[in-house]
Amino acid sequence: MKNDNKNPNAVESKKGFLRRDFLRLISFAGLSTLLPGRVSAKDDFRNDKNVPKQYIQNRDVPGFHIRSANPFLGVDMNNWGLAVGGMVKNPIGLGYEDLFGFKMVSQVSRLKCVECWSAKAVWEGFKFSELVKKVQPDPAAKFVYLQSADSYYESFSVEELLRPRVLFVLRMNGKSLSKDHGYPLRLIAPFKYGYKNIKYITSIKFLDTRKRNYWSNSGPYSVDGTIQPGIDHPLDFNKKPLPINGGEVFHFFDR
Amino acid sequence: MVKLFTLILLSLFLFACDSYEVVQIEVKVPSGVQVPEEMIYIPAGDFIMGHEEEPRTRLGKSVSSSAYLIDRYEVSHEKYKTFQPQHKFSPKSALYPITHVSYSESLDYCKANGKRLPTEIEWEKAARGTDGRKWPWRIFVDHPNNGFSGFMSEPVNKRKEWISPYGVYGMGHNVWEWIGEDYTYAGQHESERDQFKIIRGGLLQTHITIKFSPTYYRNWMKPESKLNFIGFRCAKDVN
Repeated sequence: MKNDNKNPNAVESKKGFLRRDFLRLISFAGLSTLLPGRVSAKDDFRNDKNVPKQYIQNRDVPGFHIRSANPFLGVDMNNWGLAVGGMVKNPIGLGYEDLFGFKMVSQVSRLKCVECWSAKAVWEGFKFSELVKKVQPDPAAKFVYLQSADSYYESFSVEELLRPRVLFVLRMNGKSLSKDHGYPLRLIAPFKYGYKNIKYITSIKFLDTRKRNYWSNSGPYSVDGTIQPGIDHPLDFNKKPLPINGGEVFHFFDR
Repeated sequence: MVKLFTLILLSLFLFACDSYEVVQIEVKVPSGVQVPEEMIYIPAGDFIMGHEEEPRTRLGKSVSSSAYLIDRYEVSHEKYKTFQPQHKFSPKSALYPITHVSYSESLDYCKANGKRLPTEIEWEKAARGTDGRKWPWRIFVDHPNNGFSGFMSEPVNKRKEWISPYGVYGMGHNVWEWIGEDYTYAGQHESERDQFKIIRGGLLQTHITIKFSPTYYRNWMKPESKLNFIGFRCAKDVN
């Protein structure tokens, strides 16, 4: 299903878009290294069981489980921007409203957690190819490194992010992403475990080597994160075990 | 004294593990049948296919096969490069199984070598022999990577202790393998028909528990899929 509606606040003319890009690039110079630190929480609650209630943290809510590697208060939009750079011809900085200038696509897909559960949602966002067109990466840049506002980081190959079901998501189930689900911008790569689906993205860098990701540096989790054949416990099926064949998860009731 | 006793017991245990060998079925290759070094001859005859508790299998009933040849190893990067010269891999990975190949790419490789993909009957018989065993090597063992969420393949010729009773490597671990047949079963929903090909013999993951797949476990996959856990091997008719 496609949705070509554009946010009325989005930039309408190519000329305007470019000017805005330029201005943002100036104002977000060095963003990729500065932003995560600026907008993330000052306190580290990773090893603390007493996380303040207002912090985004692990919690199980009906229909979805929220997971947060590093509890924080959420993104301060006054300081948020998306920096896209690295080995590219045209590095850019984008504001939230700029992202709605890209062609929007909607899809239903599952987020499959390595902890065994999965949950389904309608995700709406733009394809990675939109960013590729804008920044024109060097052909030698085969990998992408993403950083987030909560000090999280992930890595992919360019080829993986260009696959048809991968979305940079702005909306979930007909609404803007909530804080719990990664507002303002998150990734949905349905053939990868949930931990690869980075939330609160602030920076996207094109590189010629693959970097490691947060969970492979913190636990027994693979960098690749492709969903393996095995068992799933879908939350919308009362967590009853169902076999999965590997890659993106589709259950019989998803038809 | 207790420490010494424990050490001796541990040594015996480790020695026993290292010395495990899969008892091989004695096979007499008929005169006139040429068996290439990289293939294994599987004789005609009955074997037990599926498991009675797995409804989408042949339920542990006796199934007959003709004689055939099957690759001793999964196709490696090194072998695949002979077919696709532009295929790139690090020298360290030469003997690791090729992955990220679609069904049609796998079939093309086999055809180029005068072979084809195995049928499901051929694959399962080569994996479990004739005594209906659950694992190719018969006994249960924990996967050594248990406690890791991802998939790590191994050289195709590495695990002699996990060969099948016909001497075929990698039938219960390493990559899943494309089978030359559609995935079907009794009562299959219409929307699922003609959608998937069978894949057999890899690993199963539940949270961070890695398990070997039983010899009768059937998996399915869209033929265009290119994933890090899917490779293949080839088979061939006799003569």
